[in-house]
This record gives sequence, C-alpha cells and structure tokens, in this order.
Amino acid sequence: MNIVVLVKSAVDEAELRADTAGHPVLKGAATKMSNFDMNGVEEAVKQKESNGGTVIVVTLGGAEAKKAIKEAMAMGGTRAVHVLAEPPDAPDSLGTAYFLAKAIKRLGEVDLVVCSEGASDTYQGQVGAMVAEFLDMPFLAYAKKVETEAGRIKCEQGFEGGVRVLEAKLPAVVSVVSEANVPRYPTLLQVMVAGRKAIEDITMASLKGDDYPETGMEVLDITLQSANRKRVLLDGSPEEASRKLVEALRREGVL
Amino acid sequence: MEVITYSEDAGLAGEVAAAGLDVASVLGADAVAVELDEVSAGLRSAGKALLLKGDRTLEEDTDSAAAAIVEVAKARDVRAVLVAETKFGTVVAAKVAARLRVGSLGMGKRLRVDEGRLVLERDAYGGKYLAQVAAKMPCVAMVQAGAYKAADARPQLLDALSVNVGDQRVVTVETRKSHRVESDIKSAPRIVSAGRGFAKKEDLALAQDLANALGAALGCSRPLSSDLGWMGEEAHIGLTGVYVHPQLYMAVGISGQLQHVAGIKDSKVIVAINKDAQAPIFQVADYGIVGDLYDVVPALTRFLRQG
Repeated sequence: MNIVVLVKSAVDEAELRADTAGHPVLKGAATKMSNFDMNGVEEAVKQKESNGGTVIVVTLGGAEAKKAIKEAMAMGGTRAVHVLAEPPDAPDSLGTAYFLAKAIKRLGEVDLVVCSEGASDTYQGQVGAMVAEFLDMPFLAYAKKVETEAGRIKCEQGFEGGVRVLEAKLPAVVSVVSEANVPRYPTLLQVMVAGRKAIEDITMASLKGDDYPETGMEVLDITLQSANRKRVLLDGSPEEASRKLVEALRREGVL
Repeated sequence: MEVITYSEDAGLAGEVAAAGLDVASVLGADAVAVELDEVSAGLRSAGKALLLKGDRTLEEDTDSAAAAIVEVAKARDVRAVLVAETKFGTVVAAKVAARLRVGSLGMGKRLRVDEGRLVLERDAYGGKYLAQVAAKMPCVAMVQAGAYKAADARPQLLDALSVNVGDQRVVTVETRKSHRVESDIKSAPRIVSAGRGFAKKEDLALAQDLANALGAALGCSRPLSSDLGWMGEEAHIGLTGVYVHPQLYMAVGISGQLQHVAGIKDSKVIVAINKDAQAPIFQVADYGIVGDLYDVVPALTRFLRQG
C-alpha cells in the first residue's frame, strides 16, 4: 500500500513571543511538527505495518520544515517530499492544498493519504478536504478509528451529535483525530537513521500551472489579545473560599 | 447579488444567517439561508431562505451538501458563502472553496467588508492573538457558534430548486447519536467544566451536583471526552471542540492548556478550582481557589444549596 502522510511544521505557540507592539515574532520562532500530525503519521505507519508498502511524508513549508519532516521520518516514514515555501510566498490553505496535491500526483499510484484534523497553529481544518478535491478522491474526516481492507476504507467519525461509520473505496484521503491512536516515540537510533533518509525538495514554481487558484488571501494584522482577567485567589478553608466565591459571583451578577 | 449561508444545525443556521444579513447589508445584497432537503422548523432569520432538493438526500454527506451549494453559487450572483463552523460545516466549506477555486476563511468571530474583500476576525496561535484575515470576494467564510445572534423572525421562502449532485463516494453505514445535545453547552449561560483532576468517571457526579446547584451545563476538557471517553464529544470545550461564551465558566480540575483556554476566553467570568497553584488556568481566571476539588466542590455545592 502506498501511503502519503501530510505534515505541517507549525509555530510552537507556547514559545511564541510578541514584540512591543503586540505582534508575534515569527522570524526565528521555534517550530515543530504540528502536534495533531503525530496522530496522522502514527496512523500512516500503522497502516503500512499491517498492509505493507511505503509511507511518504509530504509537507509544504520553509527551510525550518526539515525538522518536522525528520520527526515524521523517525516515526517510520520511508521517504519525504518537501515543497519549499518561504514565508512571504507561503500560500493560503487552498494554495497549499493545490501544491500538495500536485506533489502527490508526481508520486505515481497512491492508495491512501492521511492527515490530521487541523494544524495546531491555525486550526483551519481545510487543507485535507481540499487536497481530496484536487486529487478527486473521497474524503473521510475526523476519523477516530480507521480500517482498510480489500481496496476499501472504513472509519468511525466523531461529530458533535455522536459517531458516524463511513465507508469509501480507496484511494481516499482520511483525516484522523487524537483518539485514533497513540503516537510512538522514536528511539534514538530511529532518530539518527531518519536524519540520513532522503528528502526530495521541490519548488512551488515547478508545480504551479495555469490552474493555480488566486484567492487574494492576506493576513492584515495579528495582535496579542489581552486576557484582562482579575486573577483573584480566594483563600481559607473550602467553606470560607466557597463563601467568598459566591459573594464575588453575586457582585459580578453571574449567579 | 446574494450572500448565501448554510448550517446543518437549525440553531446555528439562524446565527450564520444573521452574519449573512450583516455582510449583505454592506454590499446591498440579499442574504439567503440555504436549506437542504427540507426547511428546518427551527430556522430563524430576517432574510430569505432557499430550499434545495436533490436527486438524493443532500445532508447525508459533505460531498452532496457541497455540490448543492456550489450549484447555487455558480447559478446566481453569490458574493460570499458563509458556513457555521461545525465538523460537517468545516468540510463542506473546504469543498465548496476548492470547487469554486476561491479563498476560505475559518473561525470567524466577526465579519466585515473592506474594498471588495471580506475581512474576518479570528483567534490565532491558540487564542493568544487576534488576527484580521482578508480574501477577495467571492469567497467562503466560516462563522463560529455564538458569534452572531439569530433574529427572532421567520425567513421569506424563495421558490425551491432541484439540484443533481452526482455519485456518492462516501457512504454512511451507520449513525450512532449521543444522547446529549451540543447546544446545551454552546448557549448555556453558566458552565461547569471538568478536567483531569477527576480521578474516575463516577466522581463526575460531584461536578454534576455543582452544575445543578448553579443551574449550569456540564462540559469537559479534551482528555475526558477523547482519551478517557467519560463524556461525549459534544461536551468537549476548546480549540478542537466547542467554543463557549457563558456568563460564568467554572473550570474544575482543569490545568488550562492553550487548546482548552482557546475555547473559553470569551466567557464573562472564569473561575478555576485546582490543587496545583502553578496551573496555567489561574492566569486566565478571574477567581481561583487553590485546593483539592474533592474538598472544594462539595463545600461550594452545599453553600449554593443553602443560599
């Protein structure tokens, strides 16, 4: 089974700092593989282990994305394709999906494309479905359980109202949620071996055709939001603290 | 000229219709709520509504729903497609954008029009930042639950349209509905939310007692619904679950990871109860009690019951 897994190198939001004007300092900010993608990689590797075949890690991002690729390779990726996109030219979600789909098409026959439900930094949840559209494959979203057998895929999809059991023919694109599996921790040896595995670099220019969708998307501003919370600690015994809390909530008019 | 809106959830369809009216009024366009298969009795909107009937059930899968919306968008002068942000809606929005080859904006809290572009205000980086993102129209945008208030009116019905949506590629073999309704949490004025501090499922009775005493709905952080399965997915509050904006949010035994805090920031008053004084939840809370929830919660419940 030829499996593609899509990963994204995301800004580590816990480490992200703002400048004095409240804008995030993205240049040189710490990045890592988007944590939801660990479940995507785990699922791809699991499917490879039970069906045989290869796992090709595909990403779009700047030079820093090599780190995320290596993390995915250490978990069991066979090889990797890196569509190079440095920040000023980085495309929006539709453009990203366009390039990822073009890169996937160059890989020959692909049976399954795995991604996660969204990226930890933007959480738009759009790219997986859009890649499926560009590849003209069925899309099974928010899978908490994935089974593949005899050219078919079956998923349990978690949604607000419960669970749906979905079925489609392969090839297909599936997005997994964290309940789907427990990501493995690679051993030191796997990390070292991953560092030597081949990564193919592709430029956006070599993939871009006349059919590229220009959406005019632009980020106008990103500014720190003030939390503005009172942060009052109420002390004393559980009974005293409870009394103080109820008094405070009555003053706030929320009881 | 039209702005069309859609949600598979009748309550949210009213909210996104209100967002549609807002955008349409600036453009001098009509706001049209698209309803698939049948017009929901619960739809509230001061705008128009358009029923689409397909060669099969349109709301059964995202392919059919997207195909129906795309057909409307292509046949009429549609400037924007607004979709309420649910899991189904998120996939429909992505498919509509890909098929129309237009931009897609997500997690909208507020929408405005600026020189032919739709500008959406949204959280970024786990909710620590606020972003303004623009796309040229026509485009697709998603609107978060609670961001707009549905009008208390019934929409004006347009003549129904028939659409052909083609082959069904993803088949729903089975649907297992959970017993609770998500709108409990989304519209609740008060919420008690339980986290990892609870040692076992049975202990959630303490949180439920407190919620009952407060007249609050019960929610949870992701580990309880996902990893432990103690509560349903509809109760999960945070980045990957539901965004809430109650008057009172009481986080019990929740450490306050960024992903959880993203979903509660718009609460009027946040209370945290946690035994770890260093837990990040105290940084985003108005009132905090550092203590063992097994002591504090019963005491607080008793106090509330006594009045």
